[in-house]
Amino acid sequence: MMKIGYGELFWGRALLLGLMAFTILPFISIFVTALHPSGTVPGGLEWPADPQWGNFVEAFKVANMTALLASSTFIVIAVVPVSLIISTMAAFAIGLLRIPGSRVLLSLFVFGLTLPFGGIIVPLYYLERAMGIYNTRLAIVLPLIGLYMPFAVYWMRAHFVNMPAEISEAAKVDGASTWDLFWRIHLPLARAPIASLGILMSVWTWNQFLLALVLVEDPTQRTMAGALGAFQGHYATDIPLLCAGTILILLPTLLIFVLFQRHIITALLQGAVKG
Amino acid sequence: MTKSDNRPAAAAVSRRISRSKMVRRETIIGWLFILPALLMYATFVLLPLLLSIQYSFFRWNGIGPMIWVGLKNYRTIMEVPDLLGTIFNAFRLVVWFSFIPVGLGLVVASVIHRVATGRFGTVARTVLFLPQVIPLVAAGIIWGWLLALPGLINQVLRAVGLGAITRAWLGDFDWALPAVGLIGIWVLLGFCTVLLSTAITKIDPAFYESARIDGASWFTEFVKITIPLLRHEIGVCLTVTVIAALAAFDIVYVSTAGGPGNSTAVPGIQIYILAFTEQRIGLASALAVMLMVLVLIVILPIQRLSREST
Amino acid sequence: MNKQSVRWLLASLLVLTFLLLPACVAPATTVAPTAAATRVPATAVATTAPPSTVPPETSAATVPNCGTDPVVLNAYFETGFDLPFKLAEEFTKQYPNVTWDIKQDQFTNLINSTPRLLSGDNPPDLIRLPTMVSFAKEGLLKNLDDYATAFGWNDWPVPQLDQNRVAADGTRGSGSLYAMGLNYSLTGVFYNKTLAAQIGMTEPPKTVAEFDDLLAKAKAAGLLPIMQWGSAKSGMGLAFPLQNLMAAYGPVEPINDWIFQKPGATIDTPSNLLAAQHLQQWIENGYFPPDINAIEYTDANARFTQGEGVFIFNGDWENARYDKDMPGNVGFFLFPPAEAGQPPAAMSAPLTFGIAAKAKNADCAAFFLNWVATNEVARQINVTVGGSNPGGPSGLPMPSVPAGSVTNETLAAGIVIGEAGTSMDFIANATSAIFAQGWTPELQKMVGGKQDAAGLLKAVQAEYERELSE
Repeated sequence: MMKIGYGELFWGRALLLGLMAFTILPFISIFVTALHPSGTVPGGLEWPADPQWGNFVEAFKVANMTALLASSTFIVIAVVPVSLIISTMAAFAIGLLRIPGSRVLLSLFVFGLTLPFGGIIVPLYYLERAMGIYNTRLAIVLPLIGLYMPFAVYWMRAHFVNMPAEISEAAKVDGASTWDLFWRIHLPLARAPIASLGILMSVWTWNQFLLALVLVEDPTQRTMAGALGAFQGHYATDIPLLCAGTILILLPTLLIFVLFQRHIITALLQGAVKG
Repeated sequence: MTKSDNRPAAAAVSRRISRSKMVRRETIIGWLFILPALLMYATFVLLPLLLSIQYSFFRWNGIGPMIWVGLKNYRTIMEVPDLLGTIFNAFRLVVWFSFIPVGLGLVVASVIHRVATGRFGTVARTVLFLPQVIPLVAAGIIWGWLLALPGLINQVLRAVGLGAITRAWLGDFDWALPAVGLIGIWVLLGFCTVLLSTAITKIDPAFYESARIDGASWFTEFVKITIPLLRHEIGVCLTVTVIAALAAFDIVYVSTAGGPGNSTAVPGIQIYILAFTEQRIGLASALAVMLMVLVLIVILPIQRLSREST
Repeated sequence: MNKQSVRWLLASLLVLTFLLLPACVAPATTVAPTAAATRVPATAVATTAPPSTVPPETSAATVPNCGTDPVVLNAYFETGFDLPFKLAEEFTKQYPNVTWDIKQDQFTNLINSTPRLLSGDNPPDLIRLPTMVSFAKEGLLKNLDDYATAFGWNDWPVPQLDQNRVAADGTRGSGSLYAMGLNYSLTGVFYNKTLAAQIGMTEPPKTVAEFDDLLAKAKAAGLLPIMQWGSAKSGMGLAFPLQNLMAAYGPVEPINDWIFQKPGATIDTPSNLLAAQHLQQWIENGYFPPDINAIEYTDANARFTQGEGVFIFNGDWENARYDKDMPGNVGFFLFPPAEAGQPPAAMSAPLTFGIAAKAKNADCAAFFLNWVATNEVARQINVTVGGSNPGGPSGLPMPSVPAGSVTNETLAAGIVIGEAGTSMDFIANATSAIFAQGWTPELQKMVGGKQDAAGLLKAVQAEYERELSE
């Protein structure tokens, strides 16, 4: 490698440090604010004389956090495994079996990648009313599964397309059925992309706002992000409490990110590049 | 890009048995495999999409009868400045949500590549990525507080002697949209940086080595090597961020709700208000259809450009 | 164990917890009056006399009532407002054969679900009505004229029932009665007593000019004259002072005609132009907070109770909060007329409840509505919890209010308005979208210096006509 001048080294690192500060300071600011006495309007970064750790407890209570956690978790559990299974099956058929019509189907799914949720939210509302699932958790779960299909199918297809044909052929010679081929041979091989996809869809579900806002009226039946909207409406008066509530609500995804950091980053990147 | 499909079809083995029978059987099974995904996609995405198009030709308040009005809803959108304005606002957001994060992301990625290849670079990428995993609603709330009159931004400005320009950024006609844009930069910069910086490491180091032996500056290297070779990844970044800008809802809903005076109203917000506050389902649907067409019109050229071979 | 397997262990633990958690999720949708009841100041309810029932002059035989058989009232209330729940609870206490099946919903959702509920298989006996004209026209709401005759509602002070009347042509304000108010809110100007004393205000202003004078003094003293909200998220609070100024510069009838969608009504009148110009002057003088376009409703109240702003334009539904957050330090007056001696005017709206046309227990629901306005304990709950005038016959005594509560002042002001007959509905309620698409953005533009008084009224009138033409 060639040497890089000290000037460039300095300015380059200064730029990185500046941008890191820009990213981190907002988090620090709401954390500090959350520790101020409830009901005050504190300055952006000043450490409170008497940190009110109780604000988190209070926010946990007023935001009905137990119910929220349960509700969001239920929605994630209902959405992610089903989405994983059916998208992997579809991708298997499109990418590996290559049944006639695969190309058209793939284009149909890819088209869905560009679709803004806002474009279909209105008919979705009336559709769910007619189906009788409006204002239940299913009202979020079912459309989310549908909306994830384009990305999930595309993602898993990219995996199957790259599987060497010999694997399938060997299995077929041994008399394996298509289902066996899928379930016993290819599914175990696809564990890594499935895991990444699962993490991604969990985070997206947890953070989903618009569907929750429109399709479920009771905030305690919504996703975390959807409930945050309602929480803001009720407690906008109390900035420290609002900040404490916000921290509680984004803590789970931040934790998951820290735990699975490498997984998530590589997952997101592969997904984007493949897309 | 899409992987090339040039290997022999998996059905090659079936030559031993009756080939056509086997293929037909596999086709049926294959379709059964696709069916659940297709069914969910068709019911909850494609059907609403078609309904959106249908509604857009009617006047309907969600309760009474639907009245056919032809293209009137589309004409209304073109004629009422506040409705058409949401589309212009969406394009102004593209500058903030897309061009700046992608441009800045490119610079940061190349800086990391040159001066921070080790642990520092990894930490920087991780930190910049953090906002990407929190709910956009939370981002909106956090920045709503930072940009308020007593918030951090104004505090910093006062501290550096710029007290004269402090204001309620999200309530100011000239600054509300850039302020919302700033939130977009905060959220999307990490995504672009990480994606582009991973791609840079995959570029053949020989390119850079020969350039550096020639004494190329950071800028020359950036323009001559990094940008052309990252064309595809730049295309991906642009696609993702442009969709995020045109389809923006969460951040705007939480930080400004479209105000002041419609200066940050984007199609997503307007669709929501038209449909659920005003009960003008037809008009809301027409705007929704225009939004979806718009996204396609913008995305297709980006895809084409980034796929062209260099 | 290596790092990888630790992660998977953690992940599977997480999944396990997730699987167990949904078991504790309580079913929602049907929620009975809850522990919120404990928040009512106990003294207020306890000091009242034992319940008196029907007004004595009506005989039980001829008047609709709840009978003695078990009745389950099917009700639909608005989430976040305790009052109807408390009243329902008390009603069951007095009439044990009546129990409640209460569902609740947010106000914006009620707008969407009301038509479905009214026309559905289980039409509500009692429902909070967000709007009523279209439902009345489509025959989904019970015509309450017969009940009005039976209970003697027509003898109550006039303005109470007018806003709930719908004529055959769909205009509000006259015709048949389709709903009743649980109470009648009143708006005006609240003030911070300490700050008011600081600028030498010894009694409420009697004219707009006197009020102007106070605002100028506050500004000169380095105080914020008026705290008000203006963010698009909660809607533009400057609609309050604007409408007050309109009613000071002109009569209230044309304003009500516009709100009730009378044919040919316009908001763009010469006197309203004077009002809008006056408001613009206040804005230019810096009488409102500089960040008003970013201030939400709850923010404005919080900042006012924390001592920012001498005045705030708001309604008596905030009495309880103001009393709690600035005890003894908050006062109220009606916005003064332009010239001394004229009657003041105010926005006042009923908390509207209706009965579905096909309701099973309509008689009992009507009896409840009458009970709310006439029963002593109900009226007490109404004032204590809701902070607003419970309405009812003019002869009934006003429930007691703790001394020093601002509710005393708003109730007294309500009587003034009732006698003068100068109450108005809100200009924000004229059509479903006029607030979000008309008043809010145009007033925000005025704050931003991008709209003047004449342009404001023209733009709002254009939006109004566009909506009515659809």
